[in-house]
Amino acid sequence: MPLGGVIFLFIFISAFGALLLFIANRIGNRIKSVSDVKSAPYECGIPGIDKKDTKISVKFYLTAILFILFDIEIIFMYPWALTFKDFISNSMGWYSLLCMGFFLLVFIFGLVWEVKSKALEWE
Amino acid sequence: MGSDIVEIGINGIKLVLIFLMMVQAVPILVWVERRGSAFIQNRLGPNRVGPLGLLQLLADAVKFLTKEEFVPAKGVPFLYYMAPIFALVPGAVAFSAIPMATPLLIDRFELFGQMWGPYTILFQGYEIGVGVVFVLGISSLATYSILMAGWGSGNKYSLLGALRASAQIISYELALGLSIVGVLLLNGSFNFGEIIAAQQGPLAFTFIGHTVTVPFLPNWGVFYQPIGALLFLTACFAESNRLPFDLAEGEAELVAGFHVEYGGFKMLLFFIGEYGHMIVGSSMFIALFLGGYHFPFPGITPEVLRYYATELGYGPQGVSIFTALILFLSFFVKLALLLWFFIWVRWTLPRFRYDQLMDLGWKTMLPWALANTIITAIVIQISKI
Amino acid sequence: MTTDAFLFWFLALVTFISALGVVVFANPIFSALSLVMTMVTVAALFATLNAFFLAGVQLIVYAGAVMVLFVMVLMLFDLHKEKKAFTQGAFSGSVKLLLGGLLAGLIVGAVSMSKELYKAISDQAVTNSATGIESTKALGQLLFTQYIFSFEVLGILLLVIAIGVVALARSKGGTHVK
Repeated sequence: MPLGGVIFLFIFISAFGALLLFIANRIGNRIKSVSDVKSAPYECGIPGIDKKDTKISVKFYLTAILFILFDIEIIFMYPWALTFKDFISNSMGWYSLLCMGFFLLVFIFGLVWEVKSKALEWE
Repeated sequence: MGSDIVEIGINGIKLVLIFLMMVQAVPILVWVERRGSAFIQNRLGPNRVGPLGLLQLLADAVKFLTKEEFVPAKGVPFLYYMAPIFALVPGAVAFSAIPMATPLLIDRFELFGQMWGPYTILFQGYEIGVGVVFVLGISSLATYSILMAGWGSGNKYSLLGALRASAQIISYELALGLSIVGVLLLNGSFNFGEIIAAQQGPLAFTFIGHTVTVPFLPNWGVFYQPIGALLFLTACFAESNRLPFDLAEGEAELVAGFHVEYGGFKMLLFFIGEYGHMIVGSSMFIALFLGGYHFPFPGITPEVLRYYATELGYGPQGVSIFTALILFLSFFVKLALLLWFFIWVRWTLPRFRYDQLMDLGWKTMLPWALANTIITAIVIQISKI
Repeated sequence: MTTDAFLFWFLALVTFISALGVVVFANPIFSALSLVMTMVTVAALFATLNAFFLAGVQLIVYAGAVMVLFVMVLMLFDLHKEKKAFTQGAFSGSVKLLLGGLLAGLIVGAVSMSKELYKAISDQAVTNSATGIESTKALGQLLFTQYIFSFEVLGILLLVIAIGVVALARSKGGTHVK
């Protein structure tokens, strides 16, 4: 059962990292009170301004959604890749290729549409 | 993990050893990176502490340990501390699934007045049937460490760096996932062990019933899938946030990206995570395209090594250990060369601009990987390998 | 208790706690992160059922893609007012109670209604290889013969979603008025 090993490693590494940070925390220079200037967010010398409404490009959001869609399509190619040789040995290779070909055609159409509609342009 | 307490114990110790091996590799890699970059740029690099500056690592560790500890004012303490811890996890968990040599056979032995064994100890953390999917899935968890660090620090630069980094990582994950479909088509398996076993012996192309054998070249995946290998390696660079893809750090614009508020040991843990990604990417590249632990000389197969070991007079246990150690040496040399390649590229190529990076991922690598997949499938169908 | 049973109960406990965290945490980021944890442990639960490919897909698609989007989007917005609206006040409290009751009813109903189904399934001998390759191959075979139509329709559905997302993102309005 490999799962036990995976879970063991997950827990062990987390504990190891936490232990390292704890040791570093104990050994490191102790500061009694951190001044406001020291703990202020890093800025290049000027006093920081806290802007409540930080606007971030919608492109990040778009990239993430398009990533999910294409990722699902790629995941569906894995079982196809796994069974392709079995299909060939049953002389159904062209059938399998055709099924995937149609799927890929839709995939390529989507990709071309994204590129043409400038959804993937970063300026 | 095993059938009885001793086997479980051996496997647990093995997992810890693999993790410690990864952690130990980091100071050495940092030294190689600093010395190597210095020589590439015609400098000397760290050469004061110890012979060749090798003890610089120890001095650095002491310095890291004695740094001040505090959470930035706008930060979220829980996420701020969780991020570096979680940076360690995906690399080591994914690396343990990749086989590094043939299994070891342990004879029956006596311990605590009881007979134990015989055991077959794999030269990898755990064998997973769908290894390729497992490694991809675990590596995709690496984004969270970056996002937690970016948001937990409460700094605008780190949030921007984290967003950039995660957008870049997910964009290149597509090309990474698609570039290996060709390998899966050729092997019809997700199992690293089977994929590596198929790359043994001399190179033999089969096309429409004719077999062309090249006796002096190994039967490696890189000769069947050159485009896939190139795309995979490029995507690995982007996944591990290395130059020329280190837009997440971008000193000139974002200071240091998502770890701008980190220092001391927490910074070191991020470093271990980054090198861990390099190690996972390289060893997966070795397993899929460079024949895994097989030697580049097609004459030296595990069977030949086993034969020599038997000639030398070892028993079955000795033969398996001898073979595994020699094959591990082959894997190790390949890994070291690839890691040096990562460092070499870092100090040779300049950084991309963000739009160039996204264009390369979405408009160049994705179509090429798609074309590679389709052509591979058609060739397999025509030649009926 | 066998190792498998121990693993199952351990994973079930972690899944339950992290799923509870999704609902209980006031901060949406923490909620999203505990949803990630839930996804990962659900993947591990799939692996205990020898559905290794499904576990990998769960990791790649849900934990690695969908939740990255959620966490990214939540980090983009400064949700102070919304947080207050959803954590305080009689209205949000009553909505929470209502939803909690609905969920409890759903769980009880699902368990009582699926008892017979569970019995029917456990009577069939489920044989699965430990490596998961055979079950994945069987999945591929079924996907490309019996369910080929739904597979192709799924491809078109994904295309429609992609086009819709881009159309929505391009529409002028909100913060992007020029």
